[in-house]
Amino acid sequence: MKTRRLLCVLLLCIAAIPCPALRAQESAAEKTFFFESKIRPLLVEHCYECHSQQSNSIKGGLSLDTRQAVAAGGDSGKVLIPGKPEESLLLQSVRYDNPDLQMPPKGRLADSQIADLERWIRMGAPDPREGTAVPRTNAWDRQRGRSHWAFQHIHAPPVPATRNPDWPRSDIDRLLLARLESSGITPAPDTSRELLLRRVTLDLIGLPPTPAEQSEFLKDTASDDEALARVVDRLLAAPAFGERWGRHWLDVVRYADSVGKTRNIPFPYAWRYRNYVIDAFNTDKPFDDFIEEQIAGDLLPSRSARDRAEQLVATGFLALGSMDLNERDTEQFKLDQIDDQLDAIGRGMLGLTLSCARCHDHKFDPISQADYYALAGILASTQTLTGQLNRQGGNQTYFHPERLLDLKAAAKQPAPNPSDSAPSAARLAQLRQQLNTLVRESKSADLPAPRQKVVRSQIATLRRELAAATPKVPTGAPAPTAPKKSQTKQQRIEEVPFDPKAELAMAAAEGVPRDIELRLRGEPDLKGDVVPRSIPVALRTAGNPRMPENGSGRLELAQWLTSSRNPLTARVMVNRVWSHLFGRGLVDSVDNFGLSGSIPEHPELLDHLAAAFIKDDWSVKQLIRRIVLSRVYRLRTEHSAEDLRRDEGNVHFGRANLRRLEAEIVRDSLLAISGQLDRGRPTGAPFDPAFTGDLTRAGRGSAEVQKAFARPIRSIYLPVFRSEIPQMFSVFDFAEPDQVNGLRDVTTVPPQALFMLNNPFVIDASDRIAGQLLEGSPGDQAALVRQVWRRVYCRTPTPIESTTAIAFLKSNPGEPHKQLAALVQSTFASAEFRYRP
Amino acid sequence: MIPPLNTSSGPPFPQRRSLLQSAAAGFGWLAFQALAARPAGADEVAALKTDATDKSPLTPRPPHFPARAKRVIFLFMQGAPSHLETFDWKPQLKERHGKTAGNAANRGKLLAPQFDFQPRGNSGLPISSLFPQLSRHADNLCLLNGLHTSNAAHPQATIALHTGSINFVRPSLGAWVTYGLGSTNQNLPGFVTLNPSGPGGAQNYGSSFLPASYQGTRVQPEAGGIADIRTPHQTPGAQRTQIDLVQQLNRNLLGKHPGNAELEGVIQSYELAFRMQTSVPEVLDLRSESAATLTRYGIDNKETAAFGRQCLMARRLAEAGVRFIQITRGGWDQHRDLREALQRNCTAIDQPIAGLLQDLSDRDLLRDTLVIWGGEFGRSPQEQASGGDGRRHNNLGFSMWMAGGGVRGGFRYGATDELGEKAVENRMSTHDLHATILHLLGLDHTRLTYRYAGRDFRLTDVYGEVATGILS
Repeated sequence: MKTRRLLCVLLLCIAAIPCPALRAQESAAEKTFFFESKIRPLLVEHCYECHSQQSNSIKGGLSLDTRQAVAAGGDSGKVLIPGKPEESLLLQSVRYDNPDLQMPPKGRLADSQIADLERWIRMGAPDPREGTAVPRTNAWDRQRGRSHWAFQHIHAPPVPATRNPDWPRSDIDRLLLARLESSGITPAPDTSRELLLRRVTLDLIGLPPTPAEQSEFLKDTASDDEALARVVDRLLAAPAFGERWGRHWLDVVRYADSVGKTRNIPFPYAWRYRNYVIDAFNTDKPFDDFIEEQIAGDLLPSRSARDRAEQLVATGFLALGSMDLNERDTEQFKLDQIDDQLDAIGRGMLGLTLSCARCHDHKFDPISQADYYALAGILASTQTLTGQLNRQGGNQTYFHPERLLDLKAAAKQPAPNPSDSAPSAARLAQLRQQLNTLVRESKSADLPAPRQKVVRSQIATLRRELAAATPKVPTGAPAPTAPKKSQTKQQRIEEVPFDPKAELAMAAAEGVPRDIELRLRGEPDLKGDVVPRSIPVALRTAGNPRMPENGSGRLELAQWLTSSRNPLTARVMVNRVWSHLFGRGLVDSVDNFGLSGSIPEHPELLDHLAAAFIKDDWSVKQLIRRIVLSRVYRLRTEHSAEDLRRDEGNVHFGRANLRRLEAEIVRDSLLAISGQLDRGRPTGAPFDPAFTGDLTRAGRGSAEVQKAFARPIRSIYLPVFRSEIPQMFSVFDFAEPDQVNGLRDVTTVPPQALFMLNNPFVIDASDRIAGQLLEGSPGDQAALVRQVWRRVYCRTPTPIESTTAIAFLKSNPGEPHKQLAALVQSTFASAEFRYRP
Repeated sequence: MIPPLNTSSGPPFPQRRSLLQSAAAGFGWLAFQALAARPAGADEVAALKTDATDKSPLTPRPPHFPARAKRVIFLFMQGAPSHLETFDWKPQLKERHGKTAGNAANRGKLLAPQFDFQPRGNSGLPISSLFPQLSRHADNLCLLNGLHTSNAAHPQATIALHTGSINFVRPSLGAWVTYGLGSTNQNLPGFVTLNPSGPGGAQNYGSSFLPASYQGTRVQPEAGGIADIRTPHQTPGAQRTQIDLVQQLNRNLLGKHPGNAELEGVIQSYELAFRMQTSVPEVLDLRSESAATLTRYGIDNKETAAFGRQCLMARRLAEAGVRFIQITRGGWDQHRDLREALQRNCTAIDQPIAGLLQDLSDRDLLRDTLVIWGGEFGRSPQEQASGGDGRRHNNLGFSMWMAGGGVRGGFRYGATDELGEKAVENRMSTHDLHATILHLLGLDHTRLTYRYAGRDFRLTDVYGEVATGILS
C-alpha cells in the first residue's frame, strides 16, 4: 500500500488539465438517470469501502461519495477530467492499465462496468450528490497526526486509590498498582537487600557495590525505605554517577572521537564535550538548561567566563556527527551535516524522526518537507566548527584547527547581542539575489567586454560583502598552506601541526542568517521554494517563536524545545530514565514518539513523571531518586512460569526485569572487582592528539584503542572511534556512534561466551582476584567461596552453590591458585554476573 | 520453547558430509550430557534433563514440503547498486540519453547505461561488461528484474530487506530460516554473517523475539574471524569442567526465571562456543585449499582477494552445514563516480562470485545452495542532478539475481519499464522475495510463524506471494 501511495503521488501531474464544458448530447434528466442506475450502485458496491466519508479509513485521500469530493480528487490529484475518459486516472485504474494503480484492488470490474464509467466521464461525469469535499488524506492524516497522544499537552492525572493501601511508597506505585490490581496481577515480593544494593549501585554509578558497602547496607537497622534512601543519596552524590548517566546521554547524541566514514579523521577535542556532559549530570544541571546549552550555549547569557566556556563547549553537540569528508560537493556536505544535526535534535530530544522529511513529507508524522527545511534553515545559518573540512577545491587535508573555537578567547567575549550591527536576513537575501543575477549574466556568451569587466568587479564586491557578513569567531591557528615538497599526500594529511597548548573546542557559532530552499527528493540542486525558518506547523501548540532577522534562530529553537508547553522534551527524557532503570521504556520506542512509534502502556505514569520533572526544575537527580525509591523499583526478578504466562513482556511492571549489563559495566566491574580500577578522570584526549590522519589506515585507530584500553580507567574515558569499536565493546553491543541510539541492542551470541572464557583481560582479572584472596585471608575453602560470591555477585552463596564451588576447587588440589582463578572466572562467565538483578 | 513446525510432509533431512559433522558434534554433546551426572540440586537436575533432550535449538527440522534449496548464501551489496549498469538492460535508456523524463521530483536528464551489455550463455541473458567472469555462469543465473521496495532511504530499505519491516524490530531473514530448519552442524552457528556493516546494525542479523540462538554470528575475516576463539590458558578438558560449572550456575538462574529466552540463549551460547573453538578455526582456515582454488576465487589478486576470501569462507561454511551465510560488501551508493566506482566494485566481486558458483557446482552443492545477490534498492535512470556521473536512489524498480537452489537458470523474471524506472511486470516486493526464498527452502511463509506477545508473527507479515515463475 505504501508503494502504491507513493506512486500515486508521483502520478499527480496527470490530472492538472482544465475542465471542459459539459457536452449537451444527453439531457440533464437522462444523465442523472444514467448515474443513478449505473454509476451510483457501482461506486457503492466497489469503491465506498475505501473511498467514502463513512469508510473506516479513507484510502489515498480520495472520497467518492459527493460530487465535490469526486471533483477534489485524492492524493494522486484529480481522479477524473469530465469529458475526457482517456485522461482520467479513474478509468486508467479500473482498466488495470497501470500496475501501480489497479482499482478495485480485489479484482477487475466487468468490461461492461468499465464501459459505463467511461461513458459517464465522457458525458461530463454528471453527479447529483451534493455535499462537501472531505479533506484529502495528507491533510486528514495530518489532522490525525496532531491529535496523536505525544503532541498533546502534558496532563498529570489524579492519582487513583488502590485496594492495597500499604504497598505503595509513592504516586508512581499507586499509578502502577491500580493497573496491576485491575489486571489481576499481584506485584512480586521485594528483592533481597543484597540484590537491591547491586541493582541500584549498577544502575546509578555503573559499578558493583564493594564488600564494605554491602555490609554497611546489610547491617543498617533502619527500614528498607530509609536505608535505601541513604544509599541512593550517597550514589547520586558520587562522581561515578555522572560517568554512568553521562554515558547514556552520549549514546543519544552519537558521541564519538572521530568523524567515521570515508576519511576517519579524529576529533582531538571531543572530550571537552564528553566531560561537559558528565559534569552536567554530576552537578544536576537542570535538564532544560542542559538542552538549551547544547543547541545555543553560545547565545545564552553567562555569569562567568567559566560558565561561558562550559556553554560554548556544550554546542559541540552539533559538531559531533559522522560525516563523509570525501564528499566533494560542499552543498551536499552541508545538507548532510544539517540532516545529522536535525536527526540528533529530532530523535534525541523530541523523540521525532524529523530527518524522514528530508526528501518528502513524513510518511507517518505531521512533519512536512517544508517543516524540515524550515528547521534546516536555522542550522544553515549556523557555523558548525568541527575542526575538519570536506575535500573541496584544492583541499588536501582534513584537520583544520582554524575550524575550531579558541575557547579562551571566546569565553572572554559576551554572548552576541542580536541587535548588533549584523546585516539582516532580508538584506543578505537581497545581496545573494543580486549576486546570482550577476553570475548568470557573466556566464552569458555574448556579453560585451566592457560590461564583463563591470560585472566581474561587482561580483567581487558582493562576494566580499557577503563574506564579511559571516560573524567572526576566534579560532585556532590555520595550518601552513604550502606543504613541504618532500611530503607525500598521506603525510600531508597526517602531519598537520598540532598545537598542544591551544585550548580549542568543537562548537557551533552564528553564521549568516538565511532561509533556504526546499530540496526536491532531498537533492541539493533540485531547489524548490525558499522556506522561512520556523518550528514545524503541527508542533506550534508548544509555541511559535519568531525567527530573528539578525540571528540563526538557534536560541529560539532551544527555548522552544524546553518550553513548559512543549510536551515532548520532558516526556522523552523521563522515558529514557525509566527505560535505563527498568529495562524498557513506558514508551518502548524511546527515540520515536511519533505515529510509527510505540504507544505508551502507562500514559498516566509517563505524564505524572514528566509533570513532576518540570515542576522540580528539570532535576534529573530528583527524577531518578523518585523512581528508585518507589516500591516497584524494589521488586524481584524471579518469577514463575505462571507469572510469565500472565504478563510475558512484563508490560505491567509487576516484577523486575533481568537486564544484560552494558559493555562498559562488564569492563569496569572486572577492573573494580580485581582492584585495578583507576577512578580518576584522565586529562585531555584519550589518544595521541597529534595524529590528524585517517584512523582506519594502517591500523592506527586500533593501535590507539589498544593502547587506551590497557589503561585501567573508566570506560567512558576510552576513545570512541567510529568503525573502530574494539571487540570487547562490540561483542556486548556498544552503541554504534553513527546515530542516535537511546536503546542498545541486546544480543546473546557465542562470541560473548568466548570472550568470557578466553580473553586475556578476563583471565588476568580472575587471576589477580585469586591472588588477593589467597594472600589476604587464606581461610578455608568455604570462606574463599563466600568472598568470591560477595565480590562478583554481591551476595552470599546458597549452600548448594557453596558445595558445588568447593567441589570445583577440590577437583584440582595441586594448583590452588589456578583453580581459584578458574572459579572466579566461572562466576564472571556465568549469566548472573552479566545480568543486573 | 520452540513451537513445532508442521512436520507432516517432507523427506528425512539428508546428512551431507555427515561424518565430519557428527564426529565433531559428538564430543561436546557427550560432555554436555555428562553434566546430568554431576551432583546438583533436584531442580537443577530437572533443568538439565529438559535442556539436554529437546532444547537444542539448532537441531535440524524438516521443511514443510520438499525443499529445492538446503542453504542460502546471500551476497548483500549495501548502498544500492545500479541495476541499469549491471543486470537490467535498457536499450531505450541509451537511445533517450540526455532527454528529460520523469514526474515531479523524479524529473531529470536521462543517463544512458554506462557499460555495454552483451547476450551471454546459451540463454543469451543480457549482462553488462562489468561482469566478464560471472557472465560465464549466465545459464545458472535467474535475473530478478522486477523488484521494488517501499522506501528509498538506505536505513529503512536495508532493514526492510533483512527483516521485512521498516518500523519495528523484527527477526531477520537468516534468523527465520535457521528457526525454520535448524542447522546440520551443531558445532557452528546456524547463521553466520561475514563483515556486516552499514545501516541497520545488529538488526540485520538479529533474532528479535525468536530465540537468541537464531541470531547471526558475526565473523570478521580481516580481523581474524572470531575473537577469542582459542583458549590460551587451559586444556580443553579443564575448560570443559569450568564450563560445566558455569552452566550449572546458569541453570540455577534459569530455574528462577523459567522461560527467560536470554538466559536460555546464554546457556546455548556456551555449548556452541565450546565446540566452535575447534570448528571455527578449522572452517575458516583457507590453508588447506589448493593454489588453484585460491586463484579461482581471485585470492591471489589484490583487487579481488578480500571478497574472494569471504566467498571461499562462505563455501566452506556452506559445506560444513551452516544454514544461512551472508556476506556484506558496502560502497554501492553511486550518487557520483558511477563509472569508476562501479568498475572498481564489480571487479572486486566478479572473479570471486564466478569462482564461488563454479566451485559450488563442481562440488555438486550448487543445485541445493541458493545464492542471492543484490542490494536494498536500485538507481534512477535520470542522472544525479549535480554530476552526470551518478544516479539517484530508486526503490520503484531494481534487480537482484539468484543462482542454484532450484531456481530457473538463464532466465529473466520480471521487468521494469522501458527506462528501468519502475517494476511493471512480474513485480516482486520485499515480502514476495522473502516468500520466494522461504519457498525454495521448503518453507511455506504463511506457516512459518512464531507466537509472541499473544499473536503469531511471520517474516512476511500479512503479505508475500511466491514467484513460482522462477522455480526450475
